[in-house]
Amino acid sequence: MRAATTITVGSHAPQFNGHGIWIDGQSGRPRRVALSFDDDAGEMVIDNRIAWPFQRIRRLRDQADPDRIVLRSADDRVGRLVLERPEELRVIETRARRLNRAPPPNVPLARIVAWAAAALASVALIIFVLVPVMADRLAGFLPLEGERALGEATFEQIRRALGDEFEGPLSTCDAPEGQAALIALQERLLPHADLAVPVTLRVLDHEMVNAFALPGGQIVVFRGLIDAAGTAEEVTAVLAHEMGHVAARDPTRIALRSAGSIGVLGLLLGDFAGGAVVLALTNQLIQADYTREAEAAADTYAHRVLLDADLPPEGIATFFERLAGDAGAPTALEQHFLSHPAMGDRIAAARAATPDGRSFAPALTEAEWAALQAICEE
Amino acid sequence: MDGQDTSRIHVGPGPAPSPTWPGGARPRLLPDASPPPPEPLLLDADTLPVDCAATRGPLFRLALKTGALTVITLGFYRFWMKSRLRRWYWSSVRPGGLPLEYVGEPLEKLLGFLIAVALLAFYIGVVNLLLMFLSLSVFEGAAPAFLLSFVGVIPLWFYARYRARRYVLGRTRWRGLRFGMDPGAWGYAKTALGHWAATILTLGLLWPRMTFALEKYRTDRTWFGSLKLRQTGDWRMLVPAFTPLAVAGLATAGIGLLALFSAPEFAAGLILAVPAFLYAMIHYTVTAKRLMAEAKRAGDLRLSARPRPPRILRIYLFGGIAMVIVTAVLLSPLVIAFGVLQGELEARMIEDPILLAALGLVAYMISALIWATLTHVFITMPKWRHYAETLTLHGAESLPWVHQRHRDEATQAEGFAEALDVGAAI
Repeated sequence: MRAATTITVGSHAPQFNGHGIWIDGQSGRPRRVALSFDDDAGEMVIDNRIAWPFQRIRRLRDQADPDRIVLRSADDRVGRLVLERPEELRVIETRARRLNRAPPPNVPLARIVAWAAAALASVALIIFVLVPVMADRLAGFLPLEGERALGEATFEQIRRALGDEFEGPLSTCDAPEGQAALIALQERLLPHADLAVPVTLRVLDHEMVNAFALPGGQIVVFRGLIDAAGTAEEVTAVLAHEMGHVAARDPTRIALRSAGSIGVLGLLLGDFAGGAVVLALTNQLIQADYTREAEAAADTYAHRVLLDADLPPEGIATFFERLAGDAGAPTALEQHFLSHPAMGDRIAAARAATPDGRSFAPALTEAEWAALQAICEE
Repeated sequence: MDGQDTSRIHVGPGPAPSPTWPGGARPRLLPDASPPPPEPLLLDADTLPVDCAATRGPLFRLALKTGALTVITLGFYRFWMKSRLRRWYWSSVRPGGLPLEYVGEPLEKLLGFLIAVALLAFYIGVVNLLLMFLSLSVFEGAAPAFLLSFVGVIPLWFYARYRARRYVLGRTRWRGLRFGMDPGAWGYAKTALGHWAATILTLGLLWPRMTFALEKYRTDRTWFGSLKLRQTGDWRMLVPAFTPLAVAGLATAGIGLLALFSAPEFAAGLILAVPAFLYAMIHYTVTAKRLMAEAKRAGDLRLSARPRPPRILRIYLFGGIAMVIVTAVLLSPLVIAFGVLQGELEARMIEDPILLAALGLVAYMISALIWATLTHVFITMPKWRHYAETLTLHGAESLPWVHQRHRDEATQAEGFAEALDVGAAI
């Protein structure tokens, strides 16, 4: 009777007598064990044989049953202690203050970082070095028919990517008089173009101010570019520039590159970003981020062809200046164009290539130019 | 009159007075507010029933929280999400009261994914480029390249699935003992390709042979501690369960072809044939799992399994309905908000198409998140629970003599499966 009413203070009482099941991680023989505290040593003692420092006791996290409590020591990877009476956790909690911390990881962080760096370096090497180098080499060996097929596939890909979900792929503009004007421009340039592939000119109904070449001699102009151009000469100058890319097979390189890198990016970003990847790469195809040398070469080529065809190379310069001087705020795309460091050089080069005081034959008649501007109207 | 009394429905509080108690009405069938007693921990019994502690509420919270973090981190958290969900699912399964433990770590999954990406990037980048070049040069078209590239990845799928299973087993413990699996992923890919070819060539008739052979390949390489598992039995034991599927499949195909090419009025027959086919599929999957589980041996250990196909059908059916209803309820605030703000939004969007795209993306992400969470709550978990609860382990008296096996480093974890997106549901 007296013993029961004694109030003891300090670390010796009340005694904790817990009930656990000890899983040693060596055999499939779980054992019932008694749990007690050794507060002097700061340890929980399991069956007088194993001692866990309070600070090292961890609880398994994300368990389905909150009443089936499994404990471990941060220092023991396999041993586990199942509490037979979940309410005893409250007592253990008063000592084991780091119960809910994560146990130390099995994989050293340094190794993860090293592998992550290696993996990213390898992906970067593949996308930025290996695939471009191979694409550049292979582009030279691609037979013409293969190039045309690639161009056709790429063209369809662009129409789909820029099209509307409801109205389907982007439509090509083919009002007859406009087509006739386009062919007139083509006939004017081609005799001087010296191209190995037949050229196909097409206009797509999109407001973007852009034109690009695709493998196999396809040149695509967006309606936005015709709208933005002030004269037929400006459109012609852009076409001549794109023919320069065709002559150098630049688009084939870009398309082969995208064939290599599209899957790699999809792999990295997972499935739900797949659509975004296709869009980004399509964007790359039509923005055609060629090297400065490739752009300069296409310009030089254009200057020669234009002069031979009795057209002013200056069209390139006036077109870019018109975009820059447009009263309306320039779109993000035009900003990109104009901020390009090479742009000033290109304008200057086009000016320099135009002999002073020479007069040229107009690219199109007034009526033909009006028809070209209306090529997307049914 | 007395007979009527005993069958009267009792509506008041407390247990129903039963004239035949304790021989008649069993008290546990009556409403009872007190919590169920904790499952007994059976340490020495020879027969261990398996109970499952999985419930919807905690799973909903865990799946929603980890899913939201995955979306917010642009997918980066998914390695943590997978580890945490598996810990939860594994811990819910308790043969003889002692839970399974999943010890796979998020960082090793991330590492495995990075290794897989580095290796696959080479394959996908360089090989695809070469294929594209050859296809354009030789066939003058891009389609053969896409086809070849696809065909080239098929063996990798099987390889990845085996590796993923090996990793998951290597990180599963029960009674402190590790499961494990011997290496053999390329052999598995070869076996799987061979069986798929045979199955396709026989129009699906050899499907049970494939089911059994692949399960045997995996089981015969599986270990529990020092115990090696064996798949006994024969593929022919699956044939009776497969027969209804074959009949329903042929009927569906026959009716479909008839309706398509000669007699459109037969199309109505599909209303019966397609559900029959789907149910036959469930029946075959569940029965095959049961038969193959009961034919597994590990020393003196064996399983009895009683999963019921109608129950699985109910899970799909009612789970699907519940998912649709709950999704509608959860998304309704979004829809209402959109309706109220429509005028405002339209004006803004004309100015700023980026806003429209961003709003669309957010709405899509929220819907995908809710749908994925509800799939766990209404389909994956109930199936898991049913399969677990209908299992019984026999021969547990031999367990004390089983000892631990070495840790399988499995550096690549399930990286290939992750990169190729062929992982399991959990």
